[in-house]
Amino acid sequence: MEKRIEEAYAKRPKDWIYHLTILVVVLGLMFWSMSSMETAGTTQNGGKMALNILNGIVHPEKKLLFNLTTQGVPYLLLETICIAFMGTVVGAIFSVPLAFLSASNLTPKPIAFLGRILIMVIRTVPAFVYGLMFVRVTGPGPFAGLMTMSLTSIGMVSKMYIEAIEDLDTKILESLDAMGCTTWEKIRFGILPQLMPNFASTAIYRFDINLRDATVLGLVGAGGYGAPLIFAMNSYRWNEAGAILVGLVVLVLFVEWVSTKIRVKLTRG
Amino acid sequence: MSIYDKLFPPKNYRLSNGKEVWQKRSRAPLYVLLVLIMSVVSIKTTKFNPVTLVKRGNEFFVILGRMIPPNPSYLGSIWNPIFDTIKMSLLGSALGSILCVPFAMLASTNVCKNRVIVAAMRLMFSIVRTLPTLVSALIATFIFGLGTIAGTTAIAIFSFSYIGKILYEEIETVDMGAFEAMEAMGTTKTRAFIVAIIPQVLPSFLSNSLYNFEGNVRYAAVLGYVGAGGIGLILNEQLGWREYPNVGMILVVLLITVFVIESISRWARKKLV
Amino acid sequence: MIKFENVGKKYPNGYEGLKNVNLDIEQGEFIAIIGLSGAGKSTLIRTINRMHDITSGDLTVDDVNVMSLSGKALRRFRRKIGMIFQSFNLITRTTVIKNVLTAFVPDMPWYRSTFGIYTKEEKLKALEALDKVGILDKAFFRADQLSGGQQQRVALARTLAQNPQIILADEPVASLDPVTAKQVMDDFKRINKTMNITILINIHHVDLALQYCTRVIGIRAGEIVYDGPASAVNDDVLKQIYQGGQEETA
Repeated sequence: MEKRIEEAYAKRPKDWIYHLTILVVVLGLMFWSMSSMETAGTTQNGGKMALNILNGIVHPEKKLLFNLTTQGVPYLLLETICIAFMGTVVGAIFSVPLAFLSASNLTPKPIAFLGRILIMVIRTVPAFVYGLMFVRVTGPGPFAGLMTMSLTSIGMVSKMYIEAIEDLDTKILESLDAMGCTTWEKIRFGILPQLMPNFASTAIYRFDINLRDATVLGLVGAGGYGAPLIFAMNSYRWNEAGAILVGLVVLVLFVEWVSTKIRVKLTRG
Repeated sequence: MSIYDKLFPPKNYRLSNGKEVWQKRSRAPLYVLLVLIMSVVSIKTTKFNPVTLVKRGNEFFVILGRMIPPNPSYLGSIWNPIFDTIKMSLLGSALGSILCVPFAMLASTNVCKNRVIVAAMRLMFSIVRTLPTLVSALIATFIFGLGTIAGTTAIAIFSFSYIGKILYEEIETVDMGAFEAMEAMGTTKTRAFIVAIIPQVLPSFLSNSLYNFEGNVRYAAVLGYVGAGGIGLILNEQLGWREYPNVGMILVVLLITVFVIESISRWARKKLV
Repeated sequence: MIKFENVGKKYPNGYEGLKNVNLDIEQGEFIAIIGLSGAGKSTLIRTINRMHDITSGDLTVDDVNVMSLSGKALRRFRRKIGMIFQSFNLITRTTVIKNVLTAFVPDMPWYRSTFGIYTKEEKLKALEALDKVGILDKAFFRADQLSGGQQQRVALARTLAQNPQIILADEPVASLDPVTAKQVMDDFKRINKTMNITILINIHHVDLALQYCTRVIGIRAGEIVYDGPASAVNDDVLKQIYQGGQEETA
């Protein structure tokens, strides 16, 4: 009896070496990454600067915040919503074929692999590079922003579509088969009803992100609140920046609240 | 009964055996209408025009064409910034992920019983998450000056809110049985938390942190644009000088880096879960 | 009427799923097929609507050679054979009635099936099928909000809406609790009696099989070792069906 317990004890997993290695590697990486923390030095006292910024943000310029012309915050946000909305729609549409091509349970492995590489490339190129390219096509303004948003959306959206496609419940196809359905009917009634809520949910989620990421568009003159915000910050007009930021925060929180509700309804019914 | 059901009363079906059922009218037409209105407004506001896209679409590929072939001799100037980007995201992700733990604990209803604290923490996470990373990076450059510290700070702030939100949701769904069992055995709350809850959330926490790191490497590339260090800095510079073969080379290196990091992180995440 | 004549099924790797099966099944019978997992119960049932192919012998349903069918003819043939699965196989993300309505899809013109437009008559038929299995009140709920037993009844209603002559049920109660299992078996029995539909059911629970079915087919390692009335099944028969197999696997 005791021998058996001793044997069981001797068989205990000896994974402390493994854990220690991981710890050493992680700590090593941390020290390595601290090695190049550098700054060019501030022109002003950093702390004082921080206070100024905070002060500006909590005292947003009301005139700008409630100005209803195309210069005011409401219009900027509306323009951003429109860019993000259309960008999401266009991106979500283009993601569908791309995702089906790259789903490893539907397409031959080499093609699926190529599709994934393409998606990764699209995902990785920074948004402002696309922005510059599209400005050449459409001229500066929200149209270029919309196209940039749609391209950056494709990366993430198609990746999540692929996951949905690979998670498909294929048993339903068996029962449709037994019922005498054709291939098209199997897709229409077995696959689409499973994918639609998922795809819609992903698109709504991406819309949230696009609202926030629209700042980047301002860098290349592609519309939205980004350009005025960055301009205000670079010229130390913190009250103006504060007004835009407050508007943005309220908008994003509201959209997030609504979209979470819709998405819960989509998945739970 | 909602307003919608009053406006469009449910449809009645009478079966042959006299039984009756009511079907609520589908909301789908309402949603379709909303999406259509949004689309029309968006197309008007953004001046979206498919004709331009078809006519001038080739212009998009002009810059792309000039990037090919990439200029390999520029490679020497890329190494430092790309490693800076990796370091920024690594340190920023780690700092953010660790810092958010106590706040996430306070934001979960099953650990913190005080509703006011829970609500305050959640609001804080939400607001911080709304702040665009580019804005926090820009602010950080004003406070810490141009350079990688600013980038690291921005990434840390983003990771803090991103991981924090996932973590408190994770803690909430944890199985409290083990925690109660530990308490029943006479251990303190803190010990019970360490023994019973941490093992449950740790794998997914680490996995999410790695995933966050993956994404941040990509995001860090944008931050350089506002002077927060790393690869974005030279990318911006080369774009400005229209040195497109160099830009191509930078993108190639960025792609390879992201690919390698994603592969490693995916491998590690598979081992975790 | 289903007729198996020296039916055999050999998998490409040489494994024999069915060996020399001979069966005559009359319209309106309620048959339980029992045996160990892997004995060939599923294979036997699935050859009837040609979800599985046979490799030797002849299988005819209403004097039609099943192996001669393909494409459109096969799909039309399958219309008269309903099938029920252990995992219900519903489209969980849509409503119950839409699940039942899919039964009409193969008979609809393409433009109606593509846009999912159903006539009032079809909707009423679907509701009546739901009423037959006692879940009319759940018609407009999403399928994933229903319990397992209710979901299996939706599947049953979907099959009934198809107006079949034969129902094949592959372990229909295996993932249900004992009480719900009995309710679903009651449904089967009522349908068998009142609509004169032939029912073939694969089942693990011997007691349920003996209680509800009129005829029992015992299968072991692809061979039929018992075929007779449920009332004649005794311990010796069960031993033959179950123990022989255990020795082989042990």
